[in-house]
Amino acid sequence: MKKLLTLTAALTALTSSASAATTLQYWLWDANQQPAYQQCANNFTRKNPDITVKITQKGWNDYWTAITTGFVSGTAPDVFTNHLAYFPEFARNNQLVDLGPLIKRDKVATNIYYPGLAQLWTKDGKRYGLPKDFDTVAIFYNADLLAKAGLKPADLANLTWNPRDGGTWQRTIARLTFDKQGNNGLSPKFNKRQVAQYGYMTPYGAGFNGQTEWAFYTATTGWKHNNGLFGTKYNYDDPRFAQTIQWLADLNLKQGLIPSFQEVQASGGDSLFRAGKAAMVTNGSWMISDYTTKLPFKVGIAPLPKGPDGTRKSMFNGLADSIWVGSKNQDAAWKWVKYLASAECQNTVGRTGVVLPAIPSATNLAVAAHKARGVDSSVFVNQAKAKNGTFLFPITDAAAQVNDIMTSTMQRVFLGQAKAADVLGDANAKVNALFK
Amino acid sequence: MTTVPHTDTAQPPRPRRPFPLGRLFAYLGLALIILISLFPIWIVLKTALTPTRALFTEAASLWPSEPTLINFRRVLGLVTLEEAQAAGGSGSAVNFLNAMRNSLIFTGLIVVGQTFFSAMAAYAFARLRFPGRDVIFTLFLIAMMIPGIVLFIPNFITIRNLGWLNTIPGMVAPFVLMTPFAVFFLRQFFLSLPRETEEAAVIDGAGPFTIFWRITLPMSQGPLATLAILTAIGMWNEFFWPFLIAKDEASYTLPVALQVFRTQTPQGVPDWTGLMAGTFVAAVPVFLLLVFLGRRVVESLAFSGTK
Repeated sequence: MKKLLTLTAALTALTSSASAATTLQYWLWDANQQPAYQQCANNFTRKNPDITVKITQKGWNDYWTAITTGFVSGTAPDVFTNHLAYFPEFARNNQLVDLGPLIKRDKVATNIYYPGLAQLWTKDGKRYGLPKDFDTVAIFYNADLLAKAGLKPADLANLTWNPRDGGTWQRTIARLTFDKQGNNGLSPKFNKRQVAQYGYMTPYGAGFNGQTEWAFYTATTGWKHNNGLFGTKYNYDDPRFAQTIQWLADLNLKQGLIPSFQEVQASGGDSLFRAGKAAMVTNGSWMISDYTTKLPFKVGIAPLPKGPDGTRKSMFNGLADSIWVGSKNQDAAWKWVKYLASAECQNTVGRTGVVLPAIPSATNLAVAAHKARGVDSSVFVNQAKAKNGTFLFPITDAAAQVNDIMTSTMQRVFLGQAKAADVLGDANAKVNALFK
Repeated sequence: MTTVPHTDTAQPPRPRRPFPLGRLFAYLGLALIILISLFPIWIVLKTALTPTRALFTEAASLWPSEPTLINFRRVLGLVTLEEAQAAGGSGSAVNFLNAMRNSLIFTGLIVVGQTFFSAMAAYAFARLRFPGRDVIFTLFLIAMMIPGIVLFIPNFITIRNLGWLNTIPGMVAPFVLMTPFAVFFLRQFFLSLPRETEEAAVIDGAGPFTIFWRITLPMSQGPLATLAILTAIGMWNEFFWPFLIAKDEASYTLPVALQVFRTQTPQGVPDWTGLMAGTFVAAVPVFLLLVFLGRRVVESLAFSGTK
């Protein structure tokens, strides 16, 4: 009964506030995307002259502080770009509007997106966002360094990987790694203490999901993060997981083919790749424009290596726009979210090529935009379309705590202070205890 | 060493003394220290002069191969969005002048308020007699030990309840009245002032406020200036509190406004060249402050040191 009352109250609020001129606050974290969405906002205001959208960008690290304090203080934006790692907690604290009833009322189609994307944003029958874009992971390579080592882009197209000897993937990494004397990683004379150029770099990202760091390896061993969306049982104690993490750690600790954890932490994320001192890096499709336009060498894109199960698997992740429950402009906010998720706005964003939109036709526009600049980004789309090519982001309650536990444990492995097999069991027990 | 004949009317040219070797070494040492301390500032400037594309590949060189002012122009909002993005910059713009104005108001209010009110409190603790004075002062010192971070949430809620979010009062409120450190610092200094002057003033009929205003404050210019400069530097760079309170772009201070150059995507890197250009420009006022008032600080330190 109470629910019905609040619902009717909300609906009357929706209908009554429509006439007055409103300014919507919309937040996002990616400065590269702001111009594209500004264009959407302008088009939106042309159609709805009584609503203007004010876009604010805040850097990723500060964004979530600002949103959370905004909830508390009543100054959160009406609509904001949401992330799968954060939305469960917001939903649990009743900070997000359930879009379900509005979608039903306006008969909005939710099947126009890449399959699976819309599903990510539902919990307990409620929907907290409409998809705006998607991302998959692939290999970015420095074409100059590849050529210098006598490799062709086609050589990267069919690599295989396994956690025992690393397969042709590890051999390719070794071919692209050189010590100061010019010996490559395959040579017996290779000196791993004096590496001048690394074949590959991982940002390590000792977190709980490993999206661009290790999840695309572990998934091909048959391993899964947990027992499904909003899972309550994690599998970090699985030997396949430990083996993979140990292999990745040993690429540095034993082989010296990738930079050390300390080195990556000190210089930041992917800076050795940017400096032309690492030939390949794995990263998400949101980096396409950044890597291909802002670096002084040519960057190409190659598919992930195939794993033990014979397929390549990428995490499938997507962003969505959510409405804050405290917004005083719920009706206008819903109109804006609906517009952001529509083909019209996604086409606008797609044409800029800054992200891959959630609607396939808009994604094609983005791929075409990249192609016009001489960049082939189809790898990411193919990965999303491939049968069994993707697995969903491990959405979870208590994401922050899971992340803390896994970060400290994996750091010890990457630093060589502990063996993966020895410490991951304990960590997993701690993680699972969070859900009891 | 030959002794030079010393006469008042001596015309013959003095024999030139060899430059003392010890002094040469002292100057060399000083020069080295200056170089080392200027080096980080040079790296900031060099990064700001580097085109974004060349940032990582030229990280090890001391001079940008193609120096450019585009980063400064981006920060100051002198280029269009397309130009900024073509230069590898952020898709968000900084309203630099507005942020600079907010920073000046924010810092100015706090420096004046904190110095003046802390001086009043310190004077009370040093000279006035009232029940519970020493207990209150002890409580003050204990307050110095509370880490600032635990105060953020209660402070934030208070400001929200006052309706002061996005406003200058909200931003300066936690700092403007006093800090325990400033009170402690000034009290120690006031205690060292000669009591005789004040006693003479009392005989002449001066009350406590007159003594404070006309005798104690003028005698304490050095320490007050020191405190004001330290506060100014600290507040000019203060990020977290203004970040919490200023949700709206119109009320951003410089450190908050510059965050558009910080990390964007989770795995991305900050817009270093823009950030360094912004930081360099933002540091200029503090630099000027030190150039013009630095002597005061040195004097006051020397004064309190030789007391």
